Amino acid sequence: MGTSKSEAVAARRSRRDFLKKSATAVFGAGALATFGIPRRSAAAEPVNIGGLYPVTGSFAQIGQGCVNAAKLAVQMVNDAGGIKSLGGAKLNLIISDVQSDTTVTRTETDRLISGYKLSAIHGCFASALTLIASEVAERAKVPLLTGSSSDQLNKDRHYTFTPFARASQFALAQLQMSKLVSDKPKVAVVFENTAFGTSTSNGLREQAPGEGVEIVMFEPYSAGLTDASPLINKVKASGANMLFPVSYLNDLILIIRAIKQVDLKIAINGGSGGFVIPDFYTNVGNLAEGLLGVAHWNHDINAKAQEVNAAFQKQYGEFLFEYAGGLVAQTFMIADALERAASTDPQKVRDAIASLDVAEGYAAMCPGGKVKFGPDGKNIYAHPVGVQWQHGDLAAVFPKEDARAPLLKA
Amino acid sequence: MLATVAQAVVNGLLIGGIYALVSIGVTLIFGVVKIVNFAQGEFVMIGMYISFFLASRFGIDPLLSLVVSMPVLFVIGVLLQQFLIRRVLALGDMPQIFLTFALSLLLVNVALLLFTANYRTVETPYTETTIRLGVLYIAVAKLSAFIVAMLLSGLLWIFLHATDLGKAMRAAAQNRDVAMLMGINPDRVFCVAVGVALALAGAAGSLLMPFYPAYPMVGQVFVLMAFVAVVLGTLGNVTGALIASLMMGVAESLGVQFVGADSGLIVVFLMLLLTLALRPSGLFGGWTR
Repeated sequence: MGTSKSEAVAARRSRRDFLKKSATAVFGAGALATFGIPRRSAAAEPVNIGGLYPVTGSFAQIGQGCVNAAKLAVQMVNDAGGIKSLGGAKLNLIISDVQSDTTVTRTETDRLISGYKLSAIHGCFASALTLIASEVAERAKVPLLTGSSSDQLNKDRHYTFTPFARASQFALAQLQMSKLVSDKPKVAVVFENTAFGTSTSNGLREQAPGEGVEIVMFEPYSAGLTDASPLINKVKASGANMLFPVSYLNDLILIIRAIKQVDLKIAINGGSGGFVIPDFYTNVGNLAEGLLGVAHWNHDINAKAQEVNAAFQKQYGEFLFEYAGGLVAQTFMIADALERAASTDPQKVRDAIASLDVAEGYAAMCPGGKVKFGPDGKNIYAHPVGVQWQHGDLAAVFPKEDARAPLLKA
Repeated sequence: MLATVAQAVVNGLLIGGIYALVSIGVTLIFGVVKIVNFAQGEFVMIGMYISFFLASRFGIDPLLSLVVSMPVLFVIGVLLQQFLIRRVLALGDMPQIFLTFALSLLLVNVALLLFTANYRTVETPYTETTIRLGVLYIAVAKLSAFIVAMLLSGLLWIFLHATDLGKAMRAAAQNRDVAMLMGINPDRVFCVAVGVALALAGAAGSLLMPFYPAYPMVGQVFVLMAFVAVVLGTLGNVTGALIASLMMGVAESLGVQFVGADSGLIVVFLMLLLTLALRPSGLFGGWTR
């Protein structure tokens, strides 16, 4: 299906509208905040921050949640007085829709960097898109913070910073979590036969022996199932006591329902991505109860996270999910760097991010509670949290020091 | 082992019933109107959304919402024939292909615009219920879908063989010119054929809703299988499409079980290739309609 010209024009127009609206909203909020207060000597120039998220296309739903969280974070920074070392300068969030498309991501990142004087960027949710944006930002020497988990983002990059767990750590956590369920985990890995499915499942298979986990079934399937029962029939025959489905939402729904239908008692760990967003629960309902997943952030990790979650929930009606929550912390990391750099120059901001070392406040709102970047841009304290669906909400249950709720056993 | 095979066969038959409703629609339109409807899957999608909204707004069970989705789709079918298909019938194959293909793209994108790409599911009291028959587990939602699908296919067979309109449809399918000479009004027959075909797609949508999520691209998942079934069961042959659909469901399920979970379709397409090589007109080429 090609995008027709008129479609593209319409998309561009709606994107422009969207940008205009969000810009007005942010400016408006800023104006309101400064209006009543006696004027300081000179109104500090706002600091431009870029946010690259897919608000149309296949990742749109998650992208929209990210934009909401990004706006909330900027509002929090501004309400607290902005960047004090810059005379109380407000953050000005400039959102760009990267449309779930790699080509658009490249041009949009370029456009944003050359069109506005950006001090830093965050984005883009999907690793495939973030890789592109990070390349462009690297060339333009603008720092980029991201929650995307691809290990690729830490190779030969000097302007990309990843405060959260890497993909390789996710697989390890998932394997270790199977020990919570059984002393002798026998795992069935079923994965869709796509790049995402194959790479994730290979990561699991490679690390399984080291963790003492036995993989009894390792089965690719064609993504876009019409019926999951034959596949589950096979899982049942394998004698596994734990299932790792590496799937997107529609296949996951079918798999989880089929398991219930054949009355198969098996623990499920769905990893991250589509498994740890509110939409999953909306679709699977009670069947989600007790299912395990892995996330780079969860809203119950500390008091600050819970506070932000409450504010988000009040405004948008659903809990603050992994990626969106992480990006609130990222906004505060940028604010912290701006404060110390006392400059909007991206190079100085980059250096300030590189020397970031926080253990409290919103910027440290990460599993482990500390942020300090190594030379490869990785947060040296980063690790994923194991989560479980409990009463329609996600609770952190692994590792022990991050666990906020006891594990529900089936 | 035997239990696993039996379970695989049952699973295959149940999903085959849904494939049948979609493929019978395609084959009916092809048989009577001589046009390939690439948008058939999108009408399944419309049926699903009708059932979804009736269930989520008014709490109507998706199986009951058949009485809404089928008439609505029937009317859409009549309008489609009257205002679009009729105009391209006299033209060559290309405009006909473009018409239904464009319709498919249009409907998918309109659905994306209206309903977004989110998955929509309906929770019914029987969504997760299963009947145990010895070693077999049979999902109630799928079993009821299968039974209704077979009932509708049976009704269609009776309609085609026992009513004047049905006979006229078969006559028009066999030889349009002679049928016209016998006083059959092709416009009316075509409208009914497309209407019935779309009503079946709507029924498939409603029947799927208790156990399959609705999303704008959902039609494409089912229409692929439907096209294979139509060719396998001989183009235009309603009974052939029905039997071929059930066979494909079983072949797919056995393929997943014994060849590999990504090989279910391989078995199905192998079956298609073999059939085309040995009996180019399909498995039921010799049969009468």
